[in-house]
Amino acid sequence: MIDYVPGKQAWFEDNQPREGKAVDEIWIGDVAGSDVPTCSLTERIGDVRGRTAGWDTCVVVDPQGVVLGLLRKKELDADPQATAEQVMRPGPKTFRPNVTLQELLKSMRDHEIQTNSLVTTGEGRLLGVISRADAEATLAHEQAAETRTDS
Amino acid sequence: MSAQVFSVSEVKQLLDQGAQLVDVLGEDEFEHDHLPGAINIPLKRLDATTAARLDRHRPVLVYCNDFG
Repeated sequence: MIDYVPGKQAWFEDNQPREGKAVDEIWIGDVAGSDVPTCSLTERIGDVRGRTAGWDTCVVVDPQGVVLGLLRKKELDADPQATAEQVMRPGPKTFRPNVTLQELLKSMRDHEIQTNSLVTTGEGRLLGVISRADAEATLAHEQAAETRTDS
Repeated sequence: MSAQVFSVSEVKQLLDQGAQLVDVLGEDEFEHDHLPGAINIPLKRLDATTAARLDRHRPVLVYCNDFG
């Protein structure tokens, strides 16, 4: 007998597959976009800004991809000679991939979050981001599909 | 005494080697979500009869919800 000590939650928090009724739910790990720009602590803001055109978010990660901080527009517009570590917002709020889209949206609405939310594994490794607009649109699309199925 | 594993990669390796996966949570929880390929034997019903579903010649990997 072998005991998987961390259990089911750790498996799902690692964005691993699931079976059961939850397959029909949208978990944010299913829909988070993984193409968000990242940078290291020591990168200069000028260099980061140069390769994040069109984004208002860059995630500061360690070599293992663990989230350390966040650069939003204000930080990306900071002194180009500053390092990411000097200007980043440390320890940003993150969500686990097994949070449902409804739960994420409730949190975003409750806290008036309009920006991208970070999705990380239980160990803090970046999986992707999801914007409020994308979350709202995905949920609306899903609910419309359910309505069509029911009628 | 049972062995313990702590990582997802260890679980995957054991499954690749033919381990059986047993979810000991309640039926409702199991029906909602479980690891792929797991069978459900709720802890309260775990006895010689329910465990007879298992292949005695293959490792058995047991999990519940989390550390709690």
